[in-house]
Amino acid sequence: MGVQHSIACMAHDNPRILRVDVLPIPGSGLVDSRANALINSLPKPLAGQIAATRTSLGYTIKGDFTEEEATHAATNLFSDPIIETFTIDGSIGAGQLPDGDYSDLTVQVGFKPGVTDNRAMAAEDGLGTIFPNKSNKVASTISYHFWLHNDHLELDELVNQLHNPMLEEYSILDGQNRIPNLIRFPNLKQQNYVEPKIVNLNVGDRELERISEDGLLALNLVEMKAIQGYFKQQDTQEIRSQYDLPADSPTDVELECLAQTWSEHCSHKIFSAKIQHTDNEDGTTSTIDSLFKTHIVAPTIAISKEVDWLLSVFHDNSGVIAWTDEWSLCMKAETHNSPSALDPFGGAMTGIVGVNRDILGTGLGAKPIANTDVFCFGPPDYSGTLPKGLFHPSRIFSGVHSGVRAGGNESGIPTVNGSIVFDDRYIGKPLVYCGTVGLMPRYLPDGRESHVKTPKPGDLIYMVGGRVGSDGIHGATFSSLELTEDSPSSAVQIGDPITQKKMLDMILEARDAGLIQVITDNGAGGLSSSVGEMAELTGGATIDLGVVPLKQLGLKSWEILVSESQERMTVGIRGEDSDEFERLARLHEVEATAIGTFSDTGFFQVNHNEKCVGLIPIAFLHEGCPQMQLESEWNPPTNPDVVLPIPTLGSLSGALEKILTRPNIASKEWWVRSYDHEVIAQTVIKPFVGLNHDAPGDAAVIAPLPGSTTGAVISNGIVPRYSDIDAYSMTAAAIDEAVRNAVCVGVDLSMIAGLDNFCWPDPIESEKTPDGKQKLAQLVRSNQALDDVCRAYTLPCISGKDSMKNDAVIDGQKISVPPTLLFSLIGRHKDITKAVTSDFKDYDDHIYLLGLTKQEIGASELAFMLRDSDNSSGIGTSVPILDPERNIALYRALTNAMEDNMVRSAHDCSDGGLSVSLAESCFGFSGGANIDVSEILLSDDELDEWGALFGESLGRIIVSVSPENATEFEKKMEGHAVYKLGKTTSSGKVMISAHGKTILKCDVDSLKAAWKGTLDRGA
Amino acid sequence: MDKPKVAVLSGFGINCETETITAFEMAGAMAKKTHVNRLVNGDLELSEFDIVAVPGGFSFGDHLGSGRLLGNRLRFSLREEVRAFVASKKPVIGICNGFQVLVKMGLLPGDEDLSMCQTASLAANDCGRYEDRWVTLEFDRNSPCIWTRGIERLRVPVRHGEGKFVTNDQNLMDKWAKKGQLVARYVDPDSKYPSSSDEILPFPISPNQSWRNVAGVCDPTGLVFGLMPHPEAYHSTWLSPDWTRETSLKHGPSPAMAIFRNAVDHSRRN
Repeated sequence: MGVQHSIACMAHDNPRILRVDVLPIPGSGLVDSRANALINSLPKPLAGQIAATRTSLGYTIKGDFTEEEATHAATNLFSDPIIETFTIDGSIGAGQLPDGDYSDLTVQVGFKPGVTDNRAMAAEDGLGTIFPNKSNKVASTISYHFWLHNDHLELDELVNQLHNPMLEEYSILDGQNRIPNLIRFPNLKQQNYVEPKIVNLNVGDRELERISEDGLLALNLVEMKAIQGYFKQQDTQEIRSQYDLPADSPTDVELECLAQTWSEHCSHKIFSAKIQHTDNEDGTTSTIDSLFKTHIVAPTIAISKEVDWLLSVFHDNSGVIAWTDEWSLCMKAETHNSPSALDPFGGAMTGIVGVNRDILGTGLGAKPIANTDVFCFGPPDYSGTLPKGLFHPSRIFSGVHSGVRAGGNESGIPTVNGSIVFDDRYIGKPLVYCGTVGLMPRYLPDGRESHVKTPKPGDLIYMVGGRVGSDGIHGATFSSLELTEDSPSSAVQIGDPITQKKMLDMILEARDAGLIQVITDNGAGGLSSSVGEMAELTGGATIDLGVVPLKQLGLKSWEILVSESQERMTVGIRGEDSDEFERLARLHEVEATAIGTFSDTGFFQVNHNEKCVGLIPIAFLHEGCPQMQLESEWNPPTNPDVVLPIPTLGSLSGALEKILTRPNIASKEWWVRSYDHEVIAQTVIKPFVGLNHDAPGDAAVIAPLPGSTTGAVISNGIVPRYSDIDAYSMTAAAIDEAVRNAVCVGVDLSMIAGLDNFCWPDPIESEKTPDGKQKLAQLVRSNQALDDVCRAYTLPCISGKDSMKNDAVIDGQKISVPPTLLFSLIGRHKDITKAVTSDFKDYDDHIYLLGLTKQEIGASELAFMLRDSDNSSGIGTSVPILDPERNIALYRALTNAMEDNMVRSAHDCSDGGLSVSLAESCFGFSGGANIDVSEILLSDDELDEWGALFGESLGRIIVSVSPENATEFEKKMEGHAVYKLGKTTSSGKVMISAHGKTILKCDVDSLKAAWKGTLDRGA
Repeated sequence: MDKPKVAVLSGFGINCETETITAFEMAGAMAKKTHVNRLVNGDLELSEFDIVAVPGGFSFGDHLGSGRLLGNRLRFSLREEVRAFVASKKPVIGICNGFQVLVKMGLLPGDEDLSMCQTASLAANDCGRYEDRWVTLEFDRNSPCIWTRGIERLRVPVRHGEGKFVTNDQNLMDKWAKKGQLVARYVDPDSKYPSSSDEILPFPISPNQSWRNVAGVCDPTGLVFGLMPHPEAYHSTWLSPDWTRETSLKHGPSPAMAIFRNAVDHSRRN
């Protein structure tokens, strides 16, 4: 049962509380689509018990409003006079419709105190427009009114579907119980400010570990001892005495600041660690002094000697490339896995708006122009038992999707590309990758290069945008721990895209006016991170927590410093520009507060009003964290072989029909359609292509400069399945997939840049992780592949991210994600009017397969499909092996042919192999295809029909070429693996033959229906 | 007049101002991004402009109904300026969220007296969700709308969750239809022009199940025009969803540019 408070109790804190409930007018050609959408989203057995549903929106208003004023507000603000009706303190909230009919059951849901309530904030703003001189406070609720078939309803299950207990409260109205204000007004508890505590570190090792654990600091003993050691130094103690700080112990402000800065999330300790690596496959041992420096930075530095377009790599919030002489592009991808597990909607939304801020915080500010999103979930149809405390994968899926949709659409940034991967092991922690591309002028009107930050000591530090609250405390350290039942709800937030959009508009105007000297976002670690990082540029900073605008009074100093409350940027402004900066803020109705100054004292100094509460040397903050020493040991796993059925017309055709319905391959159109993918009017190749705009595109192409045909290509590659055999192959395949997709649309291979985004299970050996050495060895092998392939493809990584604790321990059961690398690519397109799409264009065009096919079905989608229906079949060992040198030569030849308009369609051959790709190219036009794979089968002794049709050998692309260009095309591709397979037809059939026999025959329409059916939730 | 001046409103979550400016500039106008507050605080005067555009977006997050809060800002803070602008016979366009704003302000479908009373609304799509997909529009050749003159059909994207045009008075629908105010309607692209019908077409030909398939309306003068789909999103040929299938496409401004050229030509003439 929900929290029950009487009206009298509520009225106690304020003499005037009004409640407005708004209901869509029933009938007359109108539907309550909110109610319909709800029923559509409920599990079938539950929905079946409900005869009818209505929804109403509620507003609880605190303020000095007369009856008449309230009616005015309800008429002109809260309701729509044409399609809605309302009651004030009346019956709708109690579940009684205007015609007098009572619901059988009404469930009212409202937010807990401190949770971002966007609808209420909009209402407050709207009341301010109508009554400019009256203050008000609003809370929003939603009421679900149900009429039931019988009284067997699973009430608990229904209520669980309607709210997330971490963020929301509910109350139930039924029978005689019809008090509409059961949900209490979400007043935050009054807090009184408490002075910072002194943390005594002059204690033993076990006590140090306890301090870290109890405080959710996520610092290990070595790190705690490094902090202890710093405070034992004599010069430390002398300086601290001058500032009236405890000489030999940190304040809680300082300890929290260090914990945030040194968190795995912020400082990437595993990637910086010294690793003793043993390879039991070839019997070698080696020492790697930082995977990041050795395998990610080093290749980029080597490539930077060959290309002249790398402007800013690794050190800023995103990587920047010189796209044209006047404009640069930047890109960043982030993950928001832990928050999305706890609150799929809020977690994913803050993920996307958060990475948008990374772009806004790049250089002197870039404009976000395109989003990408890649999700990894448990199977949507999962029917096994779920550990307590976990949401069903389908609920995570729809929640994450809604969050990214709301965050992207409301921000006016198109979602142009993405992917969804399903695997049982993502049940514990979903992976939610959000990426954003940004655009900025190479030079500002004042001549400064916009990718270079120019702060000077004395510049003012402004906090811009949202206020600081207790929401979002400990996000950085929390994400550096595994998920448990006790994970703090304060680490979960709901984003506010409109506050951020206003800030974004304002910041970009300020940039163009030359006002910004330095800027970064407030994400993980809050002000502690943003100011702490920028202070490194000038050699110091001093801020005053006492002037930071707060959502609620009484926050402790350390909470203000590390809170990750959303929608905030930290900006450095010259003193003489501050009036102009604040004027712009007022115009855009954005809060901007000077909270300190940059300095060159060598210290990050934190005051709270007159009192100094923290003083940490910049050098110790950023370089004091001791390097981790880790061990890894590679033992190749053994997997049972794939048991292949006898290849016949029936088995091969049936396999194609079946594999197209598997969630990993099935069409995601129903979900993708609800993302705005073409706001800003630049999306040249959209997520879905072809005659009916429902065939899969390979990569996004955008033309961000109005009237210009110079473009950019955005693609992604992700194949976690292959980690089950070898993370080296997984990584090579992900990079090749991203490149191959970009090649399919005609990318300019002389300008492609990458982003590595690792999501790993905890790779540190411990009692909880006995297989840590193997998991770390997988990380080592993954990095080795990244190094090898990026060098071969002249593909520098410009930014990246890692999330290293993707495990969930619930009910004592540990679920780890498979080692997963998302590789994102951004490249130039010389002339977008020559871009190519995956759909076949016309009948009688020639179909070619480019690239070599081997018997590589290990860990393929086919292998998993066979294993799912036959326990004796394994995933095998023959994972695809990449030959990057051969591939890049072929890719270059193909893109040259595209520049000459030789290629009518190109589609990447990946999940499900040749047969799936061929079918997908047919989905984009009204015909079919007729091909012969004899030549492919003859090209490799070990290859059989299964391998030819469903194997996932890398580096392969299916293209179609018109008959008049065929000879010329073949000449251009001379010296590369090119197989002329057959022709497109008008027959509506996919026909594959080998050695004179038809081995596959399927109807395109029924294949397409199968492919579209799995994940379609209907209109 | 050389180049008509267009005020393209911005701020508070409007997010299509960039491409709306592009479309007007390609059509020969001088378009200026105009934060609503610059009009409210007197920095800029509406009367300085020849055309006003309210672009698409998510003003105030659509939280109290799409367009409601921005409509109220204009209705309560700029009421007389807006009325004077419309009364002076200058063209106004609202696209998507901008259309929702104009409907909720009562400027559309509007009346002769410019009473600014809301008479129609844009309800949630019957499918219950936001969608981005391309549709085909047909325009009423007998409409007084100056924006759609000479255009028979256009393919354009819709990108909304609340676009179902409705009213609470069937007589009004008849009145608007008679006056040519129901100027833009969803139509089956496989049918012959003219064939718009009052019978509601199936999803997704009609993406939202609007009454009488209405996608856009104008006021009685034909100068104020609003529509749910986004013609500005298709300012150039390469922005269509299937241009790679066309064999003899000459790239440049798209057919949807006719809407913006109509208004610019109108301003030049008057």
